[in-house]
Amino acid sequence: MLKILIPTLMLFPTIWLSPAKWLWTTSIAQSLIIALASLSWLKWSSETGWSSSNLYLATDPLSTPLLVLTCWLLPLMILASQNHISPEPLNRQRTYISLLVSLQTFLILAFGATEIIMFYIMFEATLLPTLIIITRWGNQTERLNAGTYFLFYTLAGSLPLLVALLLLQNDNGTLSMFTLQYTQPLHLLTWGDKLWWAACLLAFLVKMPLYGVHLWLPKAHVEAPIAGSMILAAVLLKLGGYGMMRMMVMLDPLTKELAYPFIILALWGIIMTGSICLRQTDLKSLIAYSSVGHMGLVAGGILIQTPWGFTGAIILMIAHGLASSALFCLANTSYERTHSRTMLLARGMQMVLPLMTTWWFMASLANLALPPLPNLMGELMIITSMFNWSYWTLLLTGIGTLITASYSLYLFLMTQRGPLPSHIIALEPTHTREHLLITLHLIPIILLILKPELIWGWCF
Amino acid sequence: MLARLSRFGPALTRFRTNPAFGAGFVSQSPPSGAAGSATVSDLQPSSAKESHGHAEVSAFEKNRDYHGFSQDPVVDEWNMRMAFFFGISMAIVVGGTFIHYLPDHGMRQWARREAERLITQREAAGLPLMEENYYDPSKIVLPGAGEE
Repeated sequence: MLKILIPTLMLFPTIWLSPAKWLWTTSIAQSLIIALASLSWLKWSSETGWSSSNLYLATDPLSTPLLVLTCWLLPLMILASQNHISPEPLNRQRTYISLLVSLQTFLILAFGATEIIMFYIMFEATLLPTLIIITRWGNQTERLNAGTYFLFYTLAGSLPLLVALLLLQNDNGTLSMFTLQYTQPLHLLTWGDKLWWAACLLAFLVKMPLYGVHLWLPKAHVEAPIAGSMILAAVLLKLGGYGMMRMMVMLDPLTKELAYPFIILALWGIIMTGSICLRQTDLKSLIAYSSVGHMGLVAGGILIQTPWGFTGAIILMIAHGLASSALFCLANTSYERTHSRTMLLARGMQMVLPLMTTWWFMASLANLALPPLPNLMGELMIITSMFNWSYWTLLLTGIGTLITASYSLYLFLMTQRGPLPSHIIALEPTHTREHLLITLHLIPIILLILKPELIWGWCF
Repeated sequence: MLARLSRFGPALTRFRTNPAFGAGFVSQSPPSGAAGSATVSDLQPSSAKESHGHAEVSAFEKNRDYHGFSQDPVVDEWNMRMAFFFGISMAIVVGGTFIHYLPDHGMRQWARREAERLITQREAAGLPLMEENYYDPSKIVLPGAGEE
């Protein structure tokens, strides 16, 4: 654990002490070395859960894929931000990269935490750098509204969680995940207990987000600069899923009855957000709503508490993280050239930037869950386990999958095919940096086809 | 007029008429051809000079081998090398090889082999494949029926 954390913390001296012209080179090199070192967490040679353990941090098959995803994403964020941040004064560039690194540190501590209060504090701590990135470096005036929605939705969900955790600490004497997994099921009978159950999950449902409390997401994703959108879509949403999976261990047997409304909301959300995607004119907004839909499926998979549901949830979280981040990067390449997110203004890009079209195609295929990509495997596991739970869910998930395929195809056709508008026939050619950025997103998804057991979690 | 209305302003005419860009862009008709472009170049005669560095200048003009990292060609080149080396050669190739050669992840293949071995062993001995009780019932000590 420390062999990742200490180099990450040492990124701060690297950022602030590098000479101006080597700032980005050293940052990208060091963050890629950290990403390489993080792959050592994937070694899971025992049949039992936790490894790499010290008193406060450990990894287990649930947190390891998310940790590796987090460490992989930092160099990608740095690559993506390099163009739009470089005109700024040097200290502001250093501040920006420092915010990304601090997010990375909080996320490693959050996913590695073995004590739930530590997880909670890191969960809250990730809000601050994200808020600063959105409100300071966002491009439109709506970024202030977006920051407010983002902050207050998440805080409103997580303050009840704090109370619930303190109550649990009072009753159990510990909040260590090592011991909580072995406690007896709690006798939860009163209304207060049911509120406690809801308080445990609400923060994570808001974060995922669940349809109904999802309004912060389109705003935050759209107004954030590219690094903000990437980290939000790829990792911060998964904090919600991860938190839910950790808390589920203790919330049985109440979950059997109380989860119904949330499962229904999640499934309905897939259809609703998918339909909204089909009507979007703003490119980033489409990708943001597609994240809500996919996370709705993940939420459904977690709430039914079956082994396949959990496994499908983890697979889909990782696969969606990479695919969604790739789509945001692609949207950003279009935005940096045309300074507009309106899809109608940047059509027919295949004529001008054909290799970029290949990446758009692959990212759209990943989004619509094409086999044999892990996106499909995760979705299929969740859909089948939900079918096992209740036959009727197949109606909702089936229509949801259909609509997902439709809007992913719509996204590809609207941006790449069609007539090239006359005002953008002279666009800057694609940079090597942009090609590298997208391939570094897509290659891991493809490699995961070959060894999916890395992301199967501990239930399979 | 297109140059006035379009987002890029004077830069658009400069792109169109700059011969250095032939490789990357759609080929342009000669400036004397269309009446429209003649009007445009009259309206925006020396667009780049007049905008005094405020027009969008593509980095490809100064550096033919711009990779997208930095305006300084040396830093651009080295940044590209570092990103590709550590990203592709180290993280994906070496990292991928490391992951490929990791031992049996979560002992799943071992579990399968062990299960098959136990099944053949128990079938050969005529034993049931699995007992109904996980714990041996004779070892469970329950309180007596009359005690509370």
